[in-house]
Amino acid sequence: MSEFDSEIERELNRILGPVDTQTIPVWRTPASGGFMKRILGGTGAAVAAKLLTGFAVVAFAAAGAGGAMEASLSGSLNPADWGQQVTQQVATCKAALTAGQHGIGQCVSAFAKQHGDLVSDSHQASNARDNHSNNGSNGKGKGKGNGSDNSQAGDRIHGRPTTVPPSTHS
Amino acid sequence: MIGIGTEGIGGAAPEYKPGSEADFERLYRSSYNRVLGTLIGILGERAAAEDCVQDAFVRAYRSWSSWRGDAPAEAWLHRIAINTAISHQRYERMREAGQVLRRLGRPAPPPDPATLVERSDLFRALSKLPPKQAAAIVLRHHHGYTNREIAAALDIPERTVASRLAGAKERLRKVLSYERSADSQISVGTLSEDGVPSD
Repeated sequence: MSEFDSEIERELNRILGPVDTQTIPVWRTPASGGFMKRILGGTGAAVAAKLLTGFAVVAFAAAGAGGAMEASLSGSLNPADWGQQVTQQVATCKAALTAGQHGIGQCVSAFAKQHGDLVSDSHQASNARDNHSNNGSNGKGKGKGNGSDNSQAGDRIHGRPTTVPPSTHS
Repeated sequence: MIGIGTEGIGGAAPEYKPGSEADFERLYRSSYNRVLGTLIGILGERAAAEDCVQDAFVRAYRSWSSWRGDAPAEAWLHRIAINTAISHQRYERMREAGQVLRRLGRPAPPPDPATLVERSDLFRALSKLPPKQAAAIVLRHHHGYTNREIAAALDIPERTVASRLAGAKERLRKVLSYERSADSQISVGTLSEDGVPSD
C-alpha cells in the first residue's frame, strides 16, 4: 500500500470513523402508499365510489323486486307458500293423468297462469278500490243508476275475471 | 480501516428473505452506518447524506419483495443509495446554478457551519470526483470491500473497479497537490474528464 493510500484511509477514518459507531435512527416502516393509496386516492377513489354505489343500487333493486315478485305470486313473502301450491298442483296433475297420457306441463302451466292472472287482477282491483273511494268522496249522487259500472268495480275487488281484458283496465 | 466482518457486502453474508419486514430491519441496522459513510464520501455533506440514506432505504423497502438475491443485500442497498446520491447531486447542482443566477450582483451567504465538519481537503476533493469514483474510494479504502464486492455494489465489471479506483486516486492526488500548492486559498474547480482542474 502506498503512502498516498494510507493517507486517504487515515483521513477517511478520521471523518467517517465516528459515523461507523453512531447511534442508528429507528427504522420506521414507510406509510403504505401502494395498494390502499391507489384505492382510496385520486381516480381510484372515484371509480371505487361509483362501483360501490352501483353494487348497492343493484343489490337494493334486486332485493326489492324479488320480494315484490314473491309476494305477488304467493300472497306471502314466504317463498315456501308458492312452492307448496305448485307441489300440490303437480301432484294433482299427475293423479289426473289417465293411462297412456304423458306430460303434466300444460296442467301445471295452466295453474300458474291462473294464479298469475288472479294476482294481477287483485293488484288492479286494489287500484280501482282506491279510485272508487276517491270518486265516492267527491259526490254521492254521481254513481246512482250506473249499476253496470258498480258491478264491474265489485268484480275487480274480488279479483274475478271481467269481460274486459285486464290489460285494458289500467 | 473498518472491516466488513461477517455481515459485509459479500462473502459470508447473512441470509435475508425478500419481503420479510424483520429481515429488512436487520439489514437496515447492519448497513445503515456503512451506507451513510459512503454517501458522505460522495456528497461531502453529512446532512445531505443522511437525507439520501433515508430516501434510499425507503426506496429499497418498496422493492424489497422483488430483491432476488443475485447480489448480496448490502451491495444491492449500496447501489440504490449511490444512485440516490447521484440524483441528489444532479438536482443540487441545478438548484445551485439557479441560485447563482438569481443572486448575481448580491453577496453570497456565509457557509453553513454544520456543513463544514466534512470539509477536509480530501472530502472536498472527493466531492469533485464523479460519484461512482468517489463511492469506489470510500468502499475500498474505508469499508475495506474487495474489488469484487465493489463491482457487485456498483453493478460493473471487476476490471472497471480497478481502473476506476486508479483514475480516482490519480485525480485526488492532482487535486490535493494543487490545493496544497495553492495554499488552500484558491477553491478547487470542477474536474474535467482528464482530471485537470478547471474553474
